[in-house]
Amino acid sequence: MQFLANILYQAGKNFRQTWGTQIMTLLTVTLSVLIFAFFFLIYTNMLSASARLGDDIRLIVYLDQDITAQMRPGLEKKIRDFGPVEKIAFVSRTEAFARLSAQLGKEKDVLNDLSPEFLPPSIEVYPLKTLDNLTMISQFSDFLLTLPNVAKVQSGSDWLRRFGYFTNLLRIVVVLSGGLLIISMTFIVSYTIRLTVLSRQNELEILRLLGASNAYIRLPFLIEGVLQGFLGSSIGLAALYSLYQWITNRFSGPGFLKIFEFAFFPIVITASILLVGIILCTISSLFSIRRFIRI
Amino acid sequence: MLYYLKSDIHPESITIRPPGKGFHMPRDTNTVKPLIEMMNVTKIYPPDVTALEGVSLRIDIGEIIFLTGMSGAGKTTLIKLICCLEAPTNGLIEMAGRDLSRLSSSGIQRMRQKIGVAYQDFKLLDKQTVFQNIAMAMEVTYANPRIIRARIEELLALLNLSDKLHKLAGELSRGEQQRVALARAAANGPSLLLADEPTGNLDQETTELVLNLFQHLNQKNNSTIVIATHDASIYAKTEHRILTLCNGRLASQPEQTTQQINFSKYNKSLISRAKKQK
Repeated sequence: MQFLANILYQAGKNFRQTWGTQIMTLLTVTLSVLIFAFFFLIYTNMLSASARLGDDIRLIVYLDQDITAQMRPGLEKKIRDFGPVEKIAFVSRTEAFARLSAQLGKEKDVLNDLSPEFLPPSIEVYPLKTLDNLTMISQFSDFLLTLPNVAKVQSGSDWLRRFGYFTNLLRIVVVLSGGLLIISMTFIVSYTIRLTVLSRQNELEILRLLGASNAYIRLPFLIEGVLQGFLGSSIGLAALYSLYQWITNRFSGPGFLKIFEFAFFPIVITASILLVGIILCTISSLFSIRRFIRI
Repeated sequence: MLYYLKSDIHPESITIRPPGKGFHMPRDTNTVKPLIEMMNVTKIYPPDVTALEGVSLRIDIGEIIFLTGMSGAGKTTLIKLICCLEAPTNGLIEMAGRDLSRLSSSGIQRMRQKIGVAYQDFKLLDKQTVFQNIAMAMEVTYANPRIIRARIEELLALLNLSDKLHKLAGELSRGEQQRVALARAAANGPSLLLADEPTGNLDQETTELVLNLFQHLNQKNNSTIVIATHDASIYAKTEHRILTLCNGRLASQPEQTTQQINFSKYNKSLISRAKKQK
C-alpha cells in the first residue's frame, strides 16, 4: 500500500514539475482522439447506412437466351469465384413476365396480347453489402458482361456507387487520422516524458544513490503515460459525445440524419478507443523510460 | 526482521522496516565476517590517474573509523568504491562477505538502502524542503509517512536544525546543508554510514553535534561509521581506528587493539565478558 502511495506521490511530482508541457500533451492527445473518433464515427454510420441500402445493391444480368438447369451451377460458381455474393437468383422469361404482371396490378391487361418471350431471362446478383463490394460494383458489372449469353448488365443507381466511393474516401481519412493519433500519442507523450525525466535528472540521480528500486524510479513515468492516455482519450471522447448530442439536437427532424439514423459508438467501441489511447501512451512512455532512464 | 530505533526526542519507539530482501547487512558483532573487506584494491581513472593503489583493509561491524589524508589522497574514491558508485580497476571488495562486483543491479539497490552516505557535495535538491530531502531516503524503502516524520524531527533536533524543517535546502547555509545531508544519511538507521568530509563547513559547536550523532547511531544501532576527513581536530583525541591515505596508498594501518575497538555497548559487554572469563 505504501509502495503505491509513494509511486503515486512521485507521479504527482512529475505532473507538478512539468505541468505546462503536461497540459499541452493532454490537449494534443485529446485533439488526436477527437479527430480520429469524429471521422471513425461518421465512417461507422456510413457503413451501417450501406448495410441498410437493401435491394438497391443488386446487379441484373440480362441474357440472350434462357439458361438450362444444367448450366446454372457452372455460372453460379463463376460469379461466386469473382467476389462474395449474398444471393444469386435466376429469373426465366415466364417468371419475369409474372413479376411484371404483378407490378402492373390492375393494369396488367396491357400484357394480354403479349407472350412472355418479349422479356429477356436474367440473373439477379446480390453482392455482400460491404463497403468493398459497393466500390467494386462497376468491376463486378464488367466481369458479368464477359459471361456467355449476356446481353446487358444493369447495376444499381449511380448514387450508390458514389456513396461507396465517398465511404471509401472516408475510410482513408479514418486511417490517416488513426495514423495521426498514433504518431501524436507516441511522439508527444514520449517527448513529454523525456522532458519530465530531464527536469528531474538530479532527483533521479539522488534516488539512485539512495537505493531506489527500478520500479520506484520508473513506475511514476509509466503512470504518467497511462494517465495521459486515459485523460486525453476520455476528454476527446466526451467532447465528441457533446458534439454528437449538439448535432442530433440541432438537426433533429426529417432530413439527412433521419435517413442515416446517426448513432454514437456502442459502449464496446468507446471502451476500445479509450483502451487503445491508454495502450499507445503507455507504450510511448515505456519507450521513453527505457531510452532515457538508465539504471 | 524488524529492528527498533528508540527516539530520544519522542517517547514512542520508531520501527523502521529494513529495506528490501536479499542483501543482509549484519549488525551483530557475533558475526565472524567483517562488514567491509578490501583486498589489494586499485582504482585508476582514465587515462592513467591512479586514485588508489593496492589498498587492503578490514572494517568490522560496529566500528567507527577515521579515514584521513590530504585532498586528493583517495578518500572520496574509497567511499565511492564501498557504495558501488565506482568499480575497482583491480582487487576485491566484499561487503558482509559478498563480492560487490558480483552484485546485481537490484542487489546494489538493496545494499544502498542499508548504507547512509553523506557526500562531500551534499547532493541535496535545492528546490525541495529539508523535510523532503531527508524523507527521500526513507521513501525509497517505503517507510510509513508517520515514521518518516518522527524520524526526521528526531534527527533535526539532534543536529539543531528543528526550525529548518520546511525551509528550502537552497536557502540554507553550507553548514546547515551539510547537516541535512548527514541527517539524510542517518535517516534509515543504516548499518553502515559513510561520511565524506562531514565537518568541512561546520564550527566547533556544530562539529560536536555531528560527532554526537555518529556516536548515537553507533551506540543505538551498532552502525559502522566511516568518516573521511582531513580535519585533524575531530580525530586528534579519538580512541577509534584512524586510517591514513597518502597518494592512493594506505600509509598507516595500525592493528586493532582492545582500546581501539569501538565503544558500542555491545562491544563493551563483549570485552567485559572476556575479562570475567580470564
